[in-house]
Amino acid sequence: MLRKFTLPFVLLLLAYVLWVGAEFMDLALGVAFFIFGMICLEDGFKAFAGGALETILQRSTNRLWKSLLLGFTSTTIMQSSTLVSLITISFVSSEMIALAGGIGIILGANIGTSTGAWLIAGLGLKVDIGSYAMPMLVFGVLLLMQKSKTIKGAGNLVLGIGFLFFGIHFMKEGFTQLQGSFDLSAYSVSGVYGVLLFTLIGTLITFLMQSSHATLMIVIAALATGQVSYENALALSIGAGLGSAVTTALGGLAANLGGKRVAAAQVVFSLVTTLLAMVLINPLIIAVDWMAVYLGIAAADYLLKLALFQTLFRVLGAVIFMPFINKIEVLLIKYIQFVPKSTEQPLYLYPEVLETPSSVVAAVRKEVEHLFDNAFGLLAHGLSLKRSVIESEESLSTEVKNTRRIFPIDVENAYEEKIKSLHSEIVAFISEAQMRESTHVATEELYVLRQASRNIVGAVKGMKHLHNNLSRYGLSSNPAVRERYDQIRLQLARLLRELRLLLKEEPSSATALSLDSLKLSIQKASRAMTDDLDEMIRYRRLNANIATSIMNDENYVADIANNLIAAVHALLSKEEAATTDQFNLDEIEIQRLVDKESNVAK
Amino acid sequence: MKLKRLLGKLSQFLDSNNKTQQQEIKSIRKVLKVLKEKEHKLQAKLANRQAYEADEIEALQLKLDVIYAQRRKGIERVQALKKNTS
Repeated sequence: MLRKFTLPFVLLLLAYVLWVGAEFMDLALGVAFFIFGMICLEDGFKAFAGGALETILQRSTNRLWKSLLLGFTSTTIMQSSTLVSLITISFVSSEMIALAGGIGIILGANIGTSTGAWLIAGLGLKVDIGSYAMPMLVFGVLLLMQKSKTIKGAGNLVLGIGFLFFGIHFMKEGFTQLQGSFDLSAYSVSGVYGVLLFTLIGTLITFLMQSSHATLMIVIAALATGQVSYENALALSIGAGLGSAVTTALGGLAANLGGKRVAAAQVVFSLVTTLLAMVLINPLIIAVDWMAVYLGIAAADYLLKLALFQTLFRVLGAVIFMPFINKIEVLLIKYIQFVPKSTEQPLYLYPEVLETPSSVVAAVRKEVEHLFDNAFGLLAHGLSLKRSVIESEESLSTEVKNTRRIFPIDVENAYEEKIKSLHSEIVAFISEAQMRESTHVATEELYVLRQASRNIVGAVKGMKHLHNNLSRYGLSSNPAVRERYDQIRLQLARLLRELRLLLKEEPSSATALSLDSLKLSIQKASRAMTDDLDEMIRYRRLNANIATSIMNDENYVADIANNLIAAVHALLSKEEAATTDQFNLDEIEIQRLVDKESNVAK
Repeated sequence: MKLKRLLGKLSQFLDSNNKTQQQEIKSIRKVLKVLKEKEHKLQAKLANRQAYEADEIEALQLKLDVIYAQRRKGIERVQALKKNTS
């Protein structure tokens, strides 16, 4: 509820501030350019992901010092600890790097963030950085207009740096303008309260802007124009570190187990470092003054001193944290686990049911239906469609066409919680029932139901694979690719709708026979898709790599569909199975119909 | 394996008496009747083409084709059973 009103409130407040105080315009524009520059940089680096970036990350995390160095250098180059953290989270999540390695990268990335302060303090405010930005934007846009993904990525990088420079320029201008109308330094607070207050302000600004770099930039620009005292600027920069940890923590909440652990490590590290910097602020200031003499930094050059302070307290935090990394890893693994209560519990399997063979069969049948229901919801979300949409009579093709985002669901987690646990319970229950006295018919039925449960699991596993490519290509800007994935989604969505209707229908002797038309429709769609792709490759309308990905996904679709049809067949077939089985079309008959339909279509 | 199953079914069929075969014909006819009803419903839907999109019409036609094939299979089975009982 609160989240719903946050954005409109912030927008209104911002509009009011900009309307009332025109002198804030340049400052706000600078912040906007700076953040947009960082987004471009992130997009640019993502274009190179999948190759060198991943290989380097994987090979460079087997030792702590390597992880630290990697985190430091990658953040220095990319100037975005957020991007490095996100990549680290995804690597730890997929278990390609160990948690300790991930923590090492995060520590290194924290130190790497301070290089931004050095760049801005050392160069940004002394050179007319805005004049460098303009040619960069021109070249960046030119590169961005190219077709090649790599050149586009390079364009985003150049554009990103250009906008960063522009941002710095406008923020500097903004603070200079502000100097004439306001004197923020009048609000400076010294002593312990000052440290506490400005650390909190720094945290809030970073949380709102989702970027510690942007906060540091504002702090440096404000310090350069004398709008904030040196002591308060230091406190603000301490808060920036904590603010970015809050952002990561929120991101970690939505991530899977590995991501949660890395995010927790970052929060612990940032809290320790922030507390340390707050407590030791005076000794640190003395250390900065002392080191500044050796580094040739003038006593009045507060900008570089701020950058030095940043590096010093972040390095100090990392040094204190490092010996405990392995212990922290053990603690994180121990305390951050899958929450057992969220796993699905069986609704119909109780020891009392085991008394008679028929009650066992009835209970297991209901439980497999429950499992199917869970799988139905998961598969619908896997296709980025709401369950209610599939269950309604709305046009599925319109829904699929109008999809604007792929649901970011963690199929692996959902599988563990909603499917695997229930399937295990069903298998265990059937095994227990088979140890008791039973009839031949009941044993056969239980065998069929166990197979149905396995089919449902198989369908969800298929979705695990399919969802990966759907996330990548599902909303592709290439219309040919998007269209193929829309077809895939539509095909499965229709199947889910049909199966749901069949299960809801008043069971008749011919209900299960309807499954034949679904089998036929799947085979027909599969053949049409393959023919279509062949033609597109032949006429070079589609890259062969993407075409093979779509073909693989088409196989997953067939797997999911066949598994679901088999499971529903088991759930629908009851007493009259022997008679209706005589009507069921076999593979050859279905194939013959596919051929006939295809010829008609041609 | 399929041949073995077919032979098994055949021998089972040859051994069964007329009464069981009559019962089988009866149950097959019951299914045939349900299929016929489904066929009529689908034909009625197809007659109202304007209410559906092109791919929905294609799906309805496909369902009809499957029902035809299934019914043909059922009728052939009834004929085979009748031949045997007469």
